[in-house]
Amino acid sequence: MAARTERQAGMHGLETVELTKSFGGVTALDTATVAFQHGKVNALIGPNGSGKTTFFNCVTGMIKPDSGRATYRGFDITGKAPHTIARAGIGRSFQLCRVFPRMTVLDNLLAAVRPGSLKAQLTSSRSREEMERARGWLKRMGIDHLERAEARNLSWGQQKLLELAGVMMGEPETILLDEPAGGVNPALIGRIVTLVRQLNDEGRTFLIVEHNMDLVMSLSDHVVVFDRGRPIAEGPPSMIKSDRRVLEAYLGV
Amino acid sequence: MPSGALLFQSVILGVLLGGLYALLAAGLTLYFGIMRVVMIAHSAFLILAAYLAWAFHRETGLDPLLSLAVTVPLFFGAGVAMQRLLLTRLRPATLTMMSVLLTFSIALVIEGMLGYVFTGTQRRIQLGYSGASLEFFGARVAVVKLIAFALAAAAMLALYLLMMRSRFGQALRATIQHKEAAQLIGIDTDRVAGYGFGLGLATAAVGGTALALDATIYPSLHWHWIGPLMAIIVVGGLGSVPGAAMAAMVLGMLQSLLQIPFGTTWAQTVFYVALFATLAVRPQGFFGGRLAQRF
Amino acid sequence: MPRDSDSRRRLGRNLRLASLLACAGLVLSFPGLAPNPYILSVGVIVANYAVLSTAWNFVGGFTGYISLGHGALFGLGAYGTGLLITKAGLPSFVALFIAAALVALLMVPVGFAALRVRGASFVIVSIALVLILLLVFQSWASFTGGSRGLVIPRPFADLTRPEHHRVFFFLFAGLLAVALLTWWLVDRSRFGMGLKAIREDEDKAQALGIPTFTYKLIMFVVSATFTALGGGLYALWFGDLDPVFQFSILTGAYMVLMALLGGVRHLFGPLLGALIVGCALEYFKLEYGDTPLHLVATGLLLGMVVLFMPDGVIPALANLSARFSGPAERSIRDVTAAELLESNRREAEQQEVR
Repeated sequence: MAARTERQAGMHGLETVELTKSFGGVTALDTATVAFQHGKVNALIGPNGSGKTTFFNCVTGMIKPDSGRATYRGFDITGKAPHTIARAGIGRSFQLCRVFPRMTVLDNLLAAVRPGSLKAQLTSSRSREEMERARGWLKRMGIDHLERAEARNLSWGQQKLLELAGVMMGEPETILLDEPAGGVNPALIGRIVTLVRQLNDEGRTFLIVEHNMDLVMSLSDHVVVFDRGRPIAEGPPSMIKSDRRVLEAYLGV
Repeated sequence: MPSGALLFQSVILGVLLGGLYALLAAGLTLYFGIMRVVMIAHSAFLILAAYLAWAFHRETGLDPLLSLAVTVPLFFGAGVAMQRLLLTRLRPATLTMMSVLLTFSIALVIEGMLGYVFTGTQRRIQLGYSGASLEFFGARVAVVKLIAFALAAAAMLALYLLMMRSRFGQALRATIQHKEAAQLIGIDTDRVAGYGFGLGLATAAVGGTALALDATIYPSLHWHWIGPLMAIIVVGGLGSVPGAAMAAMVLGMLQSLLQIPFGTTWAQTVFYVALFATLAVRPQGFFGGRLAQRF
Repeated sequence: MPRDSDSRRRLGRNLRLASLLACAGLVLSFPGLAPNPYILSVGVIVANYAVLSTAWNFVGGFTGYISLGHGALFGLGAYGTGLLITKAGLPSFVALFIAAALVALLMVPVGFAALRVRGASFVIVSIALVLILLLVFQSWASFTGGSRGLVIPRPFADLTRPEHHRVFFFLFAGLLAVALLTWWLVDRSRFGMGLKAIREDEDKAQALGIPTFTYKLIMFVVSATFTALGGGLYALWFGDLDPVFQFSILTGAYMVLMALLGGVRHLFGPLLGALIVGCALEYFKLEYGDTPLHLVATGLLLGMVVLFMPDGVIPALANLSARFSGPAERSIRDVTAAELLESNRREAEQQEVR
């Protein structure tokens, strides 16, 4: 497991070069240039209004940047549609956890399956193989007993786990999590942390946007700090914790 | 090549037409901005107001413009009631689609009632000054068109002052831009949304009365208006009042000018062409500025 | 117990199959049971509505996008077929299929404008489509016959009226069967799963890798094809077209109402809605004639369905019956924080052991 991560460490993952986006008169992203470490757990932190969410949305295809480039593994993803980026191997969760409310938990996962051929498109969605795979993920998240419940009846925490399971169904290489600890009780945070570590050990890259400092410090290998639309510091958590620029950004000192 | 006088006249008529479109489109885009509702019944209310003006004139013999004193507050109340009692009942997840159906059903009911009460016979208001026209620089403009434009312009001015200068207008604009943020700073967005709807229907009352001065009305006339109005708000950018006004002027002008070579009926197609072109090329609209999003 | 629920499921499936066969039998024997040619013609009209509402439901049910312009597609299919027969001299059924193919082709650029963004723009375009076509077909009188109407020769000229109705009843029923089969195939396929994801949350569907625009476009074209076929078949049956009736917003409204009333998420929902509304419409026409009150009644009914039964009659009834069939499977065992902590602890222990 560790060997694989080391091999990936030399590879390019998600990178941006001078990514810029303005809304009217407000510059949300200001020539943001950053290279996240492939194979590691990356964290993106910064005070409110620092452009983290805009960056996230640009990189996942929800917004088109005004200028600059975003690449994933050398592959240009600037301004591409969300589904193209997803198919390039990037999965994402949403800040306000989004699941398919009136589908069952199992169907939520089956919907994430990517049919390869025309024949696969037209045949039944309930293949044994995929249902087993889906059940496997549900079991791993600990919500397999809810298989037949409608997603809208789940609690917030259960929906977060469901969302993550759905993302994993697409077998992404890199997973972007938007505030995974938002509004979640500590026990569930613990579960999410464990899952992220396991999945990272299995070779998946993470980029987590978070406010919860404990989570960031304990979980991530590499931290990037944003302020006013661009990265101002990056490095291992221990280094960031004591970086003067970071403190200034957060405290406005 | 058409004569200069004819061209000039078309331009004038285009401006007058555009003004009326601007008022009506402003109302229509307002509903969308406030609640993401495509209010198909807007033009039905427009025709209802026209019928009320006609009926008022027929019963009392007074100038139909006086009916505004009744129709404006009535429609305002109806707008508030519609928003509070009907639209809030819809599930937020499918609000836009279901509101289309709901307002569509309201339009059907209005058209049906108008047909039942007034029959399908075409109606027209005949006033002392109906036939009069003014002449300047070779252009001949009907007085009723000028009055209609004046009415629409006055209403647009009032709307502008209300939205830009008043406390309520500020709250309304905040609710349109970002509902959650508006709530966070203490605005009662539900109440504001209700009044906003009332405002929208009030503009329909004014527009309908203005229309009644000059047009022949019949129950299914609203279908001739909703198409162009919807095209205008898309071209202007859904939810943007200034965008709608500008698009209205541009398209009204185009329609008037195109009437010279193509005739009245085919000139109407300019709205639909503009609609398809906008959605294919720039779905968020051309004049909406910051507010316009891709809906 | 698993065995109980298994046998219950098998019973349910057999019951459904049996009732399906019974209904099919009823449909096939209807022309024989109909007491007079008028009732038979009502049957044809209802079958036509069933085809149209099921066709509409390809878009409304799967993607969640509401089209108010399907009346346009009905009209295009009808006029397309009629014009190909009268102007180009094609045989009736060849004209029918070519007209439907042309409509499908035409809807690709329309779909491109209408489906690039979200539902609001789509609805606006769908209404605009009906209005512009009404305008065009009324004004282009030299080509389309305008308000004078277009007369189409009957395909089977030497049939009596009742036989004519009978043949077309089976034709419409056949078309309906094909439409239902297609709907069923899409519903259970992975393609259908993707569509339903779009209906639930389009952004999320995109984030999962579903090419939403392509999916929506395909469904729109399929829906348009079936609607146009229904329109063409109607033209062949009725024989006389008028733009005001063919490109009527009201036809589109009926389609929506029927699908909504019956339930958009169900295979037979639109059919059920067509039965209810179609029969009611014909009854009202018989009793009260053609008055503007039709509009009022349609509007009120649509409004009530939207406000009080947006999922249609079937789920409303299903909810009622579920109340009687026992709550055991419905309760959700929530994982408490304590249980979660406990399982976290166990997992952490396992990790350490490794």
